[in-house]
Amino acid sequence: MKLFPAALVSVLLTVSAFGQAAKTSEKAWKAPKAADGHIDISGVWTHATNVPLERPKELGAKEFFTAEELAANEKRAAERAEKQASTRAESVETGNAEVHYDTAQFGLTGAQTKKASSLRTSIITGPEGHIPPILPAAAKRNQERNQARLARQWDSYEFRPLAERCYTWGNVGPPMLPVGYNSNMEIRQSPGWVVIEQEMIHDARMIPTDGRAPLPSFIKQWFGSAVGRWEGDTLVVETSNFNDRTNFRGSGEQLKVTERFTRSGPDSVTYQFTVSDPQTWEKSWSGEIAMDKMDTPIYEYACHEGNYGMANILSGVRAEEAKAAAAKK
Amino acid sequence: MRKLSIAVAVAALIAAAMPAWAHHAFAAEFDAKKPVKLKGKVTKFEMINPHSWIHIEVTGDDGKPVEWMVEGGSPNALFRRGININTVPVGTVIIVEGYQAKDGANRAVGSDLTFADGKRLFMGSSSPDSPDASRTK
Repeated sequence: MKLFPAALVSVLLTVSAFGQAAKTSEKAWKAPKAADGHIDISGVWTHATNVPLERPKELGAKEFFTAEELAANEKRAAERAEKQASTRAESVETGNAEVHYDTAQFGLTGAQTKKASSLRTSIITGPEGHIPPILPAAAKRNQERNQARLARQWDSYEFRPLAERCYTWGNVGPPMLPVGYNSNMEIRQSPGWVVIEQEMIHDARMIPTDGRAPLPSFIKQWFGSAVGRWEGDTLVVETSNFNDRTNFRGSGEQLKVTERFTRSGPDSVTYQFTVSDPQTWEKSWSGEIAMDKMDTPIYEYACHEGNYGMANILSGVRAEEAKAAAAKK
Repeated sequence: MRKLSIAVAVAALIAAAMPAWAHHAFAAEFDAKKPVKLKGKVTKFEMINPHSWIHIEVTGDDGKPVEWMVEGGSPNALFRRGININTVPVGTVIIVEGYQAKDGANRAVGSDLTFADGKRLFMGSSSPDSPDASRTK
């Protein structure tokens, strides 16, 4: 991988600066321990972020922003938000408006969502900052999988996506990636177990840390089979045994995910992951996400409570079909 | 020192950061070519999952009352930002702009909500160091 000298220097300086900052804070702060003697990672955390999964191409190999760049970016982003708000009315008039609720209807903005702090330019780490190329056989498999799914997607609730059906949102992972809103979770920790409960849609991952063996390889599950262990001050979780429908970014049954949870400060956890699937990608890939402490609980997301949307979607499609059929006559 | 909360380098980066995920397929449910502007009294505010719904009574062209229901954000997101069931009491006159359901029912997705005097619940950002990403799909 060719690195431009300027970008390389920038990255090195940034990493160096981070190293110094980390050393300073390490002296002043010591990670808390739970009752069982391991590092305490329990609490309510958010990993909502503006950091994209993959790095924009124009940033090349640059992994981190500097604080100055961040400040400039914030300013530009605020200006962009202002412009978006003022042009919304125009887009309605021209018929180009997005048909989507958002909290703006209540005079709220995304700025009021707490975001986890990070200077990263992408969640995916390393100079490339991208998911590696997918293997030809996997691409073919995924195309067939998608064609089968799309062919019947409007036929019934049974063919709608799992999130729409209130089953799961995809943020459970592993790896656990942020979602568009309510990107929050609560971690509970006790001897032998760590439980991660997601606000969306309510899934709880049960991770044994008592040294038990993983499930036999013939038992496949949507979220795989996870086994955790403590390595010094880090919780390491290894998950395999995914089923053929888990489909994380195009993955197959050979998906394996390794996650690392490390307390990085009084109000933060660093979450790192490595994903591999030799039947899907040319090589494994890794990411890092900051998790910041929340001062509110996670709220109930009883998605089945009033999922009017499911009936409304199918009703809308039937209406369109009837309209198209009438036009043919 | 003020804690840094990351903003992004360019507009494209913001767009990339926000997954194009929503709970359901809005384009199948609502029609971008059917914008509506409704003024009426709130008859019910359902803060239910996965989305809130505000019911309003609108006076039709013939002078008769017509019930509409308007979809809003998830209760979690609203509640965490200070909106609760008492924020829009029954009887409050509101103006809602949005898009009607494709099946022609008196149902809409709301994009803008104001009180009769033009005021909104909150204006702008309470956290100027963060970008407004809520408007991305």
